[in-house]
Amino acid sequence: MAIIIMNISKYIILILMAMYTLSCFTIFQESSELAKNQKLNKQIIYVFLIHFLSYLTLALNDPERMKEIVIFYGVQIFVAIIYMYVYHYIYPYSSRVIANNMSFLLLIGYTMLNRLDFGQAKKQFVIATASLVMVSVIPLIMDRYKNLRNYGIAYGIAGIMALGSVFVIGVEQYGSRNWISLFGITVQPSEFVKILFVFFVASMLSKRRDFKQVCVITAFAGVHMAVLALEKDLGAALIFFVIFIFMIYVGTGKIRYLIAYVLGGIVMVGLAYLLFKDRLFDHVMIRVNVWKDPWADISGDGYQITQSLFAIGSGGFFGAGLTQGSPDVIPVSESDFIFAAIAEEFGVLFAMALILVCFSCFICFINIAMKVRSRFYKTMAFGFAVCYVFQTFLSIGGVTKFIPSTGVTIPLVSYGGSSVLSSLIMFSIMQGISTIENKEAKKIEEERRSIEEDARKAQKA
Amino acid sequence: MKKKEEVSKKTQEKRKKRKKELDVTLLTPEQQAFLEREEKVNKINDKLNGPVLGITYLFAFLIIGMMAYILHFMIVEKDQVIANAANSRLDKYAANVIRGDIVSSDGKVLATNKEGKRYYPYDSLFAHAVGYSKYTKAGIELVGNYYLSDSNANVLERFVNTLREEKNEGDTVVTTLDYELQKTAYDALGNADGAVVVMEPDTGKILAMVSKPDFNPNNIDTVWEEANKEGSNSSVLLNRASQGLYPPGSTFKVLTTLSYMRQNPLKYKKYTYDCSLEEEIFNGVSVHCYNHKTHGEQDLAAALANSCNQAYADIGIDLDVDKWRDVLEKFLFNKSLPYTDASATSRFYLDGDSDKGYIPQTAFGQGDTLITPLHNAMITATIANGGLMMRPYMIDSIENYKGTRIKKFSPSSYDTLMMAKEVEVLTSYMQQVVTEGTAAAYFSGVSYDVAGKTGTAEYSGGEHDYSWFVGFSSVENPEVVVSVLVEESDVNGIKATSVARKIFDQYYN
Repeated sequence: MAIIIMNISKYIILILMAMYTLSCFTIFQESSELAKNQKLNKQIIYVFLIHFLSYLTLALNDPERMKEIVIFYGVQIFVAIIYMYVYHYIYPYSSRVIANNMSFLLLIGYTMLNRLDFGQAKKQFVIATASLVMVSVIPLIMDRYKNLRNYGIAYGIAGIMALGSVFVIGVEQYGSRNWISLFGITVQPSEFVKILFVFFVASMLSKRRDFKQVCVITAFAGVHMAVLALEKDLGAALIFFVIFIFMIYVGTGKIRYLIAYVLGGIVMVGLAYLLFKDRLFDHVMIRVNVWKDPWADISGDGYQITQSLFAIGSGGFFGAGLTQGSPDVIPVSESDFIFAAIAEEFGVLFAMALILVCFSCFICFINIAMKVRSRFYKTMAFGFAVCYVFQTFLSIGGVTKFIPSTGVTIPLVSYGGSSVLSSLIMFSIMQGISTIENKEAKKIEEERRSIEEDARKAQKA
Repeated sequence: MKKKEEVSKKTQEKRKKRKKELDVTLLTPEQQAFLEREEKVNKINDKLNGPVLGITYLFAFLIIGMMAYILHFMIVEKDQVIANAANSRLDKYAANVIRGDIVSSDGKVLATNKEGKRYYPYDSLFAHAVGYSKYTKAGIELVGNYYLSDSNANVLERFVNTLREEKNEGDTVVTTLDYELQKTAYDALGNADGAVVVMEPDTGKILAMVSKPDFNPNNIDTVWEEANKEGSNSSVLLNRASQGLYPPGSTFKVLTTLSYMRQNPLKYKKYTYDCSLEEEIFNGVSVHCYNHKTHGEQDLAAALANSCNQAYADIGIDLDVDKWRDVLEKFLFNKSLPYTDASATSRFYLDGDSDKGYIPQTAFGQGDTLITPLHNAMITATIANGGLMMRPYMIDSIENYKGTRIKKFSPSSYDTLMMAKEVEVLTSYMQQVVTEGTAAAYFSGVSYDVAGKTGTAEYSGGEHDYSWFVGFSSVENPEVVVSVLVEESDVNGIKATSVARKIFDQYYN
């Protein structure tokens, strides 16, 4: 009986996932507010059912811990439903699509972590829920304090100091010295400095956009990246670089900057390669070589990526079924390589839909960026959009061997306290910008309507 | 994305319309200023959004590219990737499948299940080629493990089986092995230890693969226990065809000839050596021909046909060793073979810094050089195939248990290693070996023509002989390559060339 339920659930989950993904994109077409809200409520039902069926499978598979799993399931779905329903009552101008996607991605993460390691799932849930409460004030703060754009240089300096702190109070984890220990909690500063950095570039560009200003921003960005390179966190350095060049392009509107930075970047990498060939580039070269031919050393350097490909391929389009694969043999399957674990058990079709859900988050971010008219918030929203989509791309691309692996997590899905908190901050800031933008739009619309009214009256008279 | 553009265009049109409807002159100056400002801000906003849209397209392109790549991986590469023996998931999936059969190209069942056990109807005949499915697995049981433990039976049938918690029928692996050729090779080798590889030069299909000593895979438990007993040095489980390393003996002269031709493109045709003394000194080392024979005046073709060691020692000391090594490494010495099953790496040790005293021996195939019978077959097949080396393979296709074809493996080439002219010259030299040289006696009165090379390698300090033959037929239209190695041929009296003759006879039967 259990087997029948699990097998049928697998396919139903897939259908529900397809429907959810589709609605993520068709929602932009709905013109009436009512139809939109109906669709958003439907999304919540899809999320509920997918999560329910997944947990049904998990519980049936582990009768000994069934009680614990059921309780954990209960609190998860309670928090998620509350969030998806209540958040837009508190912030009527926030984006419900983003709220739904955010909760859904967190739930997928919990489910997969629960399957891989119950303890980690619980820890992730506690951190994420506490973070959710904390970050819920962000839109309020942003709405209240309109002078956030005045602290450009301060953001930059704070960012560099935070990054540099790993040289003073840093600890080593996963072979990179990019973690610090604060009151017994290990934190990855670069996750949070990313946000400060976006604030920095946005606020600098909102003030002035002349050549001199661009040079100042470039100098700060250069220091950020240099510190990250020294920490051997080249994945983060790459993310900073991409955020930086695209924000400058959008902020100034001049494509020549983009071209110059891309060329400059190539020259810098070439130069760094010549200068620090052995110290800095050893593990880059290893990763590139592993990417080119992971089969040459299946049991050594190529182990992680080949295991990942075995997982994705063995699961097939429809997946082995939750708990039926062996994603636990992939090293760090709970964090950097969670995509492979999801693909193996939920199926490649589900995993592809997941990519589309992530992409729809990006589209939502871009939508906000296009609508908001303040240059500061526009560049900022755009910066976060790029940050989000590029990080997702690096992570999934690395796991599927589309690009060399950079050891980056999928925001909200992968295990990791720093990653989850910083992603939630990012999503909340976007909700803040959405609130500011929608309020402004509403005010202007009202003003316009009253003018039309006046004009019509005057015409009649 | 296009929709959005349309939408924004629509809103712009709406705005314009609205403005036209309004009679601006009727408004207060503040109201006019508001409208003007709005107009301006909207314009700036539209301009700023240009780059945003551009970058959005860029990322959409990247994401779509990534998804297309994943699809490509799933459709094209997946099967080959997960069939890898290092994929630990296969055992897990195998638990839900009744292991499929292995059959020969002519439809004989080589491995199946009987009374819940793996059963091999031909006992030891296909022992090393088909292998065994227990313990570490070996042969086709290992290489084809993924297919054997996968089921492509009817979808509905599989679904019902899953619900009933019953096992599915695994797929059948159709091999390239030919029953008659395998049997001929097996019988021809008799009681001798050694190995035979028969393959198609233009496809790389392995038609027969024999290695002795062998074992009965139906008794794999006892065999495994014996072989792995403490202190046991039994090599019965070793597939000598692909994993046995032997000195190539005179078969190596083929590649020495090729290296010499490449280094002396103008004068190799005029090469002569006078083999009139029983012994001659080269680089301080004394060299004699087999059985201390003298061959007289030898050109290159005659030297190969008569397998004249002194001539090859003379050629060897003339070679640039680094370039020689390059040729050999192109031919996969010191490299792993492009072959899916386990294979040993052939060795060539000399380079420019080596002691010159090793050169003469190495040039005629003694010394420390080592080669596997499979590798020697591949080199011969390269000559037979006009210089293009094919990847050898033993799995032809996969069928579901009802016989519907699921997948077909096509021949795939490794690399072009020789030019047409070189192929032509070497072929004619090798044909001379068979028509008037060392193999002539074995091939008298055959209906087909053969090009090949014999070899005898000494080991155990010269006490025993390894007997070699590599060759292909026919010369005009090469269809089959045979590589034979016989251990202790001086004791058991079985010559590799006579084994090869029987196989050629069977092929053209």
